[in-house]
Amino acid sequence: MKTDHLIEQLVRDVRPVPRRSRTLRVAAGIAVGGIVTLVVVALALGIRPDLHIAMRGYPFWMKWAYTVSLGIGAMAVTARLARPEPVRLARFWPIALPFLLLAILGAVELARAPMQHWPAMWLSKTWKVCPLLVLGLSAPIFIGLLWSFRRLAPTRLRLAGAAAGLTSGAWAAALYCLHCPEVSAIFVLTWYTLGILLAAALGALIGPRLLRW
Amino acid sequence: MRPSEDQLKAWMTAGLDGDAASHALLLGALVPLLRQFYRRRIGDETEIEDLVQEVLIAVHTRRASYDRDRLFTPWLFSIARYKLVDHFRRAHVTSPIEDLAELLSVEGFEDASNAAIDVDRLLSTLPPKQANAIRQTRLDGLSTAEAAAAGGIGESDVKVSVHRGLKALAARLRGERP
Repeated sequence: MKTDHLIEQLVRDVRPVPRRSRTLRVAAGIAVGGIVTLVVVALALGIRPDLHIAMRGYPFWMKWAYTVSLGIGAMAVTARLARPEPVRLARFWPIALPFLLLAILGAVELARAPMQHWPAMWLSKTWKVCPLLVLGLSAPIFIGLLWSFRRLAPTRLRLAGAAAGLTSGAWAAALYCLHCPEVSAIFVLTWYTLGILLAAALGALIGPRLLRW
Repeated sequence: MRPSEDQLKAWMTAGLDGDAASHALLLGALVPLLRQFYRRRIGDETEIEDLVQEVLIAVHTRRASYDRDRLFTPWLFSIARYKLVDHFRRAHVTSPIEDLAELLSVEGFEDASNAAIDVDRLLSTLPPKQANAIRQTRLDGLSTAEAAAAGGIGESDVKVSVHRGLKALAARLRGERP
């Protein structure tokens, strides 16, 4: 096709693009995927029956604060990677802050508890399923982000895939809190994080294939 | 005359607001810019035209990724560069050593646009002629001859402008002048 002809065709469809459309689009992808994940948590796993009591306690908000802050940070990174311009990875260091803060909290909790309680705090009852559930629940949100990227321009595909995986993992973990009965910071630090990182690794693995444009 | 960053950005912003005429002007103005960019890196005219069209489509369909508070040209050339790398990958180009310098100059382009925002602030402190000459030859990847033709001035004029401009910038960065 002639280039002039192509331009004529393209300019037939010039819909206004709102300011902040890049961030909005990423947020919309997360929200739509998140609704699906929420439905799966509610129907397949079940919301914990004592949620209204748990919401008055510290462990619930500890888990919520960790996963939601990670989710917001990862979303910002994803939105940045949806711009084509070269990135400086060093700028993303604040994404490690939630992890560091939770590690400090975990150390404090351990220091206050007698040593024979440590294995139970760390493994508790659900350590075998928690990472895999978080990984599974991240899938709808990851698909939502793939939709977001369709009109955006990531140029570091592996990195963008990892960021999308991290984002979907963190938000999946935040929704998983509605089901999960665990209470110790060291549990969340290990097994939630493992699930989230698995999602990020999977994203990095399939990102270049799925995000290519 | 090559359209300025400000002009391109103005068209882009108007297009984002839904102004189809400005959007058409923008896409039209990008064609020679992109041809120039790819001609320096690929020989085959058909391939060049394919890439130009791919970038135009991407500029159109992925314009939500443009941030109005930033410069337009680094955004554009990031897309152009991505399409170039993708083109090489698709064609399974195994580069002979002679072409390596050329490929590396494409890689160097990444750093150039990475620093473009700081550079733009610095360049604005220079006389427009020197700033233009530096922008064209050092950032946009034009040759001295191309920059001279675009500006309607002599090649030696471009060289002198670049030299003086860079010297002034170096002095400023060393803190010799406020």
